[in-house]
Amino acid sequence: MTVNELTRGPALTAPVSGAAIEPPKKRRTGSSPLAAARGLIWVLPAVALLAVFVYLPLAQNFGFSVIEWDIYTGTQTFIGLENYQKIIEDPVFWSALVNNVWYSIISVVFQVCGALVLAALIESLRSDRWRKAFRVIYFIPSAISLTVAGLLFYFIYEPRLGLLNAALDGLGVGELGQAWLGQENTAIFAIIAMSQWQGFGYCTLLFAVALQRIPSELYEAAAIDGVGPVRRFFSVSIPLVREMTGLMMIVTVSGAFQVFNEVMVMTTGGPNNSSQVLGTWLYRSGFVRNDFGYAAAIATAIFVVTLALALAQLWISRKRRVEW
Amino acid sequence: MPTLRQTGLAAMAAAAIALTGCAPQAPAATADLTAEPQYSGTLSILTKFGGEPLESYFNDLAVEYQKLHPDVEFELIQETDQSIKDKTKTLTASQALPDIYFTWAGNWAENFVKAGLAADLTEVIEPGTEWGDTFGEASLDAFKYGDKYYAVPLYNNGKFMGYNERIFDEAGVQPPTTFDELIDACGAIRQAGYEPIAFGNKDGWPALHYLQQLFAYNVPAETLQDDFYPETATWDHEGYLTSLEQFATLVEECTDTGADSNGVLYTTAQQALAEGRAAMYYQEILEFDSSAGEGTTVAGDGFGIFPLPAPAGGEGDAGAIEGSPEGYIINAGSERAALAVDFMKFATSVENAATLSAPPYGQPSAVIGSVSDQNSSPAVVEGIELVNDASSTVIWLDSVTVPDVADAWLAGGEALISGDSTPEEILASVQAASEGAK
Repeated sequence: MTVNELTRGPALTAPVSGAAIEPPKKRRTGSSPLAAARGLIWVLPAVALLAVFVYLPLAQNFGFSVIEWDIYTGTQTFIGLENYQKIIEDPVFWSALVNNVWYSIISVVFQVCGALVLAALIESLRSDRWRKAFRVIYFIPSAISLTVAGLLFYFIYEPRLGLLNAALDGLGVGELGQAWLGQENTAIFAIIAMSQWQGFGYCTLLFAVALQRIPSELYEAAAIDGVGPVRRFFSVSIPLVREMTGLMMIVTVSGAFQVFNEVMVMTTGGPNNSSQVLGTWLYRSGFVRNDFGYAAAIATAIFVVTLALALAQLWISRKRRVEW
Repeated sequence: MPTLRQTGLAAMAAAAIALTGCAPQAPAATADLTAEPQYSGTLSILTKFGGEPLESYFNDLAVEYQKLHPDVEFELIQETDQSIKDKTKTLTASQALPDIYFTWAGNWAENFVKAGLAADLTEVIEPGTEWGDTFGEASLDAFKYGDKYYAVPLYNNGKFMGYNERIFDEAGVQPPTTFDELIDACGAIRQAGYEPIAFGNKDGWPALHYLQQLFAYNVPAETLQDDFYPETATWDHEGYLTSLEQFATLVEECTDTGADSNGVLYTTAQQALAEGRAAMYYQEILEFDSSAGEGTTVAGDGFGIFPLPAPAGGEGDAGAIEGSPEGYIINAGSERAALAVDFMKFATSVENAATLSAPPYGQPSAVIGSVSDQNSSPAVVEGIELVNDASSTVIWLDSVTVPDVADAWLAGGEALISGDSTPEEILASVQAASEGAK
């Protein structure tokens, strides 16, 4: 019997009871300084690429954020933290941030929680053919580019000719019809809805893959213990896809703070800046209002927010790794 | 002795300059426009003719020019109305502007002039020169800053209400001559079963076109000009509030989309006129051949135009028409400036100007005599004549003002339509933007 086989025993029952599982302790292998140096040489190209294409632009962006830059004359004036002060006083920045927060909350609900439930439902189907069919059906929207999906939904939302208002009319609730993208209180939510439709299937597919990796013996053992499907989902599936859930949370929340294309295609941030998100406000500040220094300050703010969220999520999920 | 804070700021400033790694643009070399062109090398051109049907115009020009000068190569960067804004700014910021590049009149062109990025064309194009006399003087003046000329006007433009003559007959209305008559006509047209004015403001600027024309009617020209520049702007004339209220009335009384108009594309509105579902659509001359071209319902019904009627009692110029030519700047730093001038002379020759003015392009050339019954549609000819006869012209609100103010108007126009802001609130936001831009 191998070490792995030995560790499998307790893991079969532990998740059902919710107990934490200690990973097998690995013996630390000693390494000489020469071996360490050799290892460094192997990672050096990747580090160099990261430095040039990630960290240097980050530093440069911060450099731009403390200057006032006239793109026409090329003159640069150091203004210290004035652009950051401007961020604090800018109401559009804060409404854009709120829109991003809405984006991330709704995305977590649909693309993490909803997608996990849907993936579990699909994977619980007995027919292999139907499982495959549903995976494809839900994944298809993700194969459409965001720009195309944005245009498609623009026409669905069109107030007079659009499919949505026509459908509401057909259902006898025509009074609920709106200019979904043309009203300040609905524009951002209409965009978010499109985004969920587009990203939902991709997350479902990833969760389906994670669920497939769970050994069937665990479900069988739970079933023998008299555990029903709902309890199996909460006590077996969720704990064992925790890593994937954590990853999806990071990807979804970070993505929600970097959203750009769909807003540009559908509303360009209007009406009256009501659907601006940080990415589009950055773009508008730079390329429309010619304030590239301020745009760089917004970029720094986006970086700080997404980095903080990612670190927080990593920290929260650091001790929850489950192995079997 | 410097304090810790001063030292910190100095270090931060040094780091910022080192990190951004950008140097001010080198002073532009003085382009010698009168030199004999060297007919070799690559001429780069940034156009606003991306997409069909316009894209082939510069392609064909390049082919024809190469037949005359086989050693000249072309690098054409063809962008659309929207994308050219980003492209131009990216090229400007990276100090990579082409030899010839598109410009709007107003603040857009002025930025390049002030920065020394536009060649002074006075010597070759001012009125009285051989080339300059081929253009209407007003077209040249649109790109005159101080006493110098900085761009070659390629085509003229103006904004008019296009209407369906059959629907007007059915509704028993005549082209209105006052703003009140227009509002009254809307009621009659609606009773006849048609949408009076098709309107789509998804892009924001269609509202600004109405507003700028109303400003020209309601605000004295001198006040309006002062307000375009943050240094002299106050934006406190009561004509602005009147104009905003009039526009709100027009949206409410004359459009079917009303407060929902921000969710409708201007091309959807254009289509409503073309298909005979709407009686009117406010449009640029450049759009005439699209919205009322061959094969459209409105072309069969009869397509007419009239300026947006002026309200009674306005303090501005009731004979003003909104519109301005669009043109091309020659890069002050271009090594092929003389060749660029030669190419633009070729592009604005009578023959090529006539081609530009004719369908499918339908861009009324700024060259005198190039727009005629022989090569252009009757509406284009009439539109150009009305622009030429106008007592004054006003440049588009979003290109004549500085970007912050234009952006405030854009957001304000949308908020007025959706009913989320009052005219007073909108004007206050514009005043704040203008104050911030000083």
